Amino acid sequence: MTMARPYVPRPGERTAARPQFPQSRKQQVKVWWREIDRVLLALVFGLMVLGTIAVASASPASARRLSTSAERLDELYFYWLHLRWQALGLVALIATSMLPRDLARRGSILLAGAMLFFLLLVPFIGSEVNGARRWIDLGIRFQPSEFLKPAFAVSIAWILSWKARDPDMPVIPISGALLGVVIVLLMAQPNLGDTILFVGCWSVLVLLAGLPLQRVGIMGAAGVGLMTLAYLFYDNARNRIDSFLGGGTAYDQVDLASRTLMSGGWTGAGLWLGRRKMSLPEAHTDYIFSVIGEEFGLLVCAVVVVLYLAIILRVLMRLVDEENLFTILAGSGLIALFGGQAFINILVNLQLFPSKGTTLPLVSYGGSSTIALCFTIGLLVAITRRNPFLPRDRFMFTGALEKGAFR
Amino acid sequence: MNSLTASGAIATGRVRLVDIRQRSLLTARLRVLLLVGAFCLIALAALLRIAWLGLVQPPPHEQSMAEALLPSRGEITDRNGVPLARAFPAYALWYDPQALNDGGSALVKPASEVAAELTRIFPDLDPAETTRRLTSGKAGYIRRRILPEDANRVQAIGELALELPRETDRQYPQGSMAAHVLGYVAADGHGRVGMEQVLDEHLTDPATRGTPAALSIDTRVQGALEDELRRGMLAVNAAGAAGIVLDVDTGEVLALASLPEFDPNRIDARGQSLMFNRVTNQVYELGSTFKPLTVAAAIDSGVVTDLAKLYPAARPLQVGGFRIRDSHIIGQYINAPQALIHSSNIVTAQIADALGPDRLKRTMEDLGMNERPYIELPARGFPIWHKGKWPRLRAMTVSYGHGIAVTPLHLASAYATMVNGGIWRPTTLRKVAPGEAPRGRRVFKASTSARMNQLLRMIAVYGTGRHADAPGFRIGGKTGSAEKPGVGGYRRTSLITTFAAAFPMDKPRYVVVAMMDEPKGTAASSYQRTAAWNAAPVVGRLIPRIGPLLGILPDTSRDIDLTDLKPLVGDEETEE
Repeated sequence: MTMARPYVPRPGERTAARPQFPQSRKQQVKVWWREIDRVLLALVFGLMVLGTIAVASASPASARRLSTSAERLDELYFYWLHLRWQALGLVALIATSMLPRDLARRGSILLAGAMLFFLLLVPFIGSEVNGARRWIDLGIRFQPSEFLKPAFAVSIAWILSWKARDPDMPVIPISGALLGVVIVLLMAQPNLGDTILFVGCWSVLVLLAGLPLQRVGIMGAAGVGLMTLAYLFYDNARNRIDSFLGGGTAYDQVDLASRTLMSGGWTGAGLWLGRRKMSLPEAHTDYIFSVIGEEFGLLVCAVVVVLYLAIILRVLMRLVDEENLFTILAGSGLIALFGGQAFINILVNLQLFPSKGTTLPLVSYGGSSTIALCFTIGLLVAITRRNPFLPRDRFMFTGALEKGAFR
Repeated sequence: MNSLTASGAIATGRVRLVDIRQRSLLTARLRVLLLVGAFCLIALAALLRIAWLGLVQPPPHEQSMAEALLPSRGEITDRNGVPLARAFPAYALWYDPQALNDGGSALVKPASEVAAELTRIFPDLDPAETTRRLTSGKAGYIRRRILPEDANRVQAIGELALELPRETDRQYPQGSMAAHVLGYVAADGHGRVGMEQVLDEHLTDPATRGTPAALSIDTRVQGALEDELRRGMLAVNAAGAAGIVLDVDTGEVLALASLPEFDPNRIDARGQSLMFNRVTNQVYELGSTFKPLTVAAAIDSGVVTDLAKLYPAARPLQVGGFRIRDSHIIGQYINAPQALIHSSNIVTAQIADALGPDRLKRTMEDLGMNERPYIELPARGFPIWHKGKWPRLRAMTVSYGHGIAVTPLHLASAYATMVNGGIWRPTTLRKVAPGEAPRGRRVFKASTSARMNQLLRMIAVYGTGRHADAPGFRIGGKTGSAEKPGVGGYRRTSLITTFAAAFPMDKPRYVVVAMMDEPKGTAASSYQRTAAWNAAPVVGRLIPRIGPLLGILPDTSRDIDLTDLKPLVGDEETEE
């Protein structure tokens, strides 16, 4: 009849520590700091600082260009605005990155729905800028497609990860249909640059989701076919491709950009000492890479390229060790959007790609787009959070090949 | 049993699901590596392209900001900082048929219409010729040095092929003033003729071109000199004129003029033909202005100790087969001061004969008459100088300024030596800071110089230089009217008339030389063509203009003491 007596600590004895989740705000922030990818955060901050300097150097060119006789813009008009947007963007980045993964996913799916709704409304209540109807004005003006991009990537990743629960679900066609809707809405604006980004993001995701490689080939062929069709029937695309292949005239943007890029040599003319940038349209947005080339030199251009590559590789190499399919897909989709936009812009500036009208993410001046990009990085940080003390099985390249992952 | 099979089915379903999950995870991980590879390739392409741009493309035009703030070519100022030449940004009208770059016509409108519009802006343009230029398809300048408002009007035509590149041009704000001193800047951006050529390196080197190059020229003196010379030249219908104002103590050239001048702002064929500098490049037999130099050499070497000594002057001097004569008989016997006052070749030749060829030659060499003049200008004439041992006749002709040909600058330098206490200094067009004048070399004793100052003053008071004697300025000087050598001997009617003067003679500060080339006898010169009637009055009008500017105010109460020499020349007031 001996009953097991519960353990009661005697006075002066400590209770054994019970495992518990952090309760206080401070504890949560500590855990957040331990779990996030701090190297990625540092690289992104570095890029934003570079963007601040680059916008400062490009601001006088655009401010002079956009000044009218009635209104004279301050030389550093865009710089001060950019600083404000960057501050807001940083808040958005940190706030987003603190979301728990599930909440981030759910929020993104809801955001994707909302933005798709706004995208539908754009043809009706959108405001027109530079001949394209892309903006929604609700007190603050924003491009629905900017915020749709990260939300879309997370949503598609979510749809594709259904497969892990029910292998018979036709996830790829479902996501394809969603993409189709987005493409139609974007082409109506028209917005060729974002269309390419959405298609690229989706392609990366379905590739990772295990689309057989033959089908990838077929899709590639279909892509070329689509481009041809776009060239034949879509004026905006035809003009841009024509001017890329034909070399353009002596005074078009691409030519001006290349002259600007090359006028600095290896080491550049120095901050605010560039001259070519003054005749460059969109110096602070689309062609900021060329302005960096003129004022800071080709070496700094190379540093920018390496910085973007470092961010991409950092994210992807961490994803290789990930064990959750949704995390891999969502992370890859987000970084594909970010990296794709960066390299399209860089290649346009280097004249290796037809002019697209995309900005250099986190470097170019931008209002809502800066917020959207910071939001993208925040989502990325939130989704790739991991407990550094949990062991995980290392990725075995040979083992993966044996199991026929490429089939 | 049932439950067992059921649980087995569930188990196999779970196992399958886990297997699929594992597999798709592996696939995803492996394909992430594909993505990594793809991004690496893209980044590599971008980096290679950057490297290619940096290595293969021509390097950018180096632009130093410090250099951009400097004038494209340094400024030239006079001694007081008045700009004489400065950089001037202007537009050019360049025709570039490739500007539209679409393979079609170079112009949007018909060529004749564009030519007509251009002619409306530039009325001196030939429409037919311009049309031909525009249709030829060749790139080139249509016009240079366009005013900004004209450039705007050309822009308004709306033709891309008409380009308006900015060019830096040279502007000479004083017009043609001191043109021979300054020279001009040719199309290649380098200076020609004058100080523009001499200072070319200083004016183009970014390290030095920020500071203006100060010349010794004084624009006010230069302007007065050019004005009076031109007036004198036109009055007597001379072919040309030359003048120089020299600081006797430093060798600085305050003014240097050669007429007719050219306009460095607009160089054309006529301008090119007038670039010849009479002051530094042309050598002349300067005639009687050499007589004081001969007398100074004789006094200095002790050959003439007594100025009262009389020399026969009634009949021409026969030396070998050569006769030395005067323009008129001055007197049976005259002394040295009288010989200078009346400009007697016969007596000067006798003094030179007593001095001897060697000593005269030596003095002339000391005065720099055997080499090109000391001045920065690139065009410097070499004197006609007899190198070997001088025969007796050579010394006698040189004594009155024949058989030797030097530039007016040589003469001014020699006069400065004679009046400043006997020190020869190189002449210069660069401003000399106070106390930094070169030491020079002694040619005459100070006592000789003092005596010569008296004699020069006497010529202006009693002799041929009376037309130059502006009241209160204590001018002293000597006339010279030399016949120009022509084919088969000297031409009696083509003269080079010179007046070499210094002022104020009680403490000489400046030497002024004025020269006329082939003056005619006109009403203005009382139908005379000798120096007393054309060159001397120019100096007489010039010195009252420049004297006060240079700190020499007219003062009739002061003069050099002539009382010891006055009795030697008697009452000569009536002598013409």
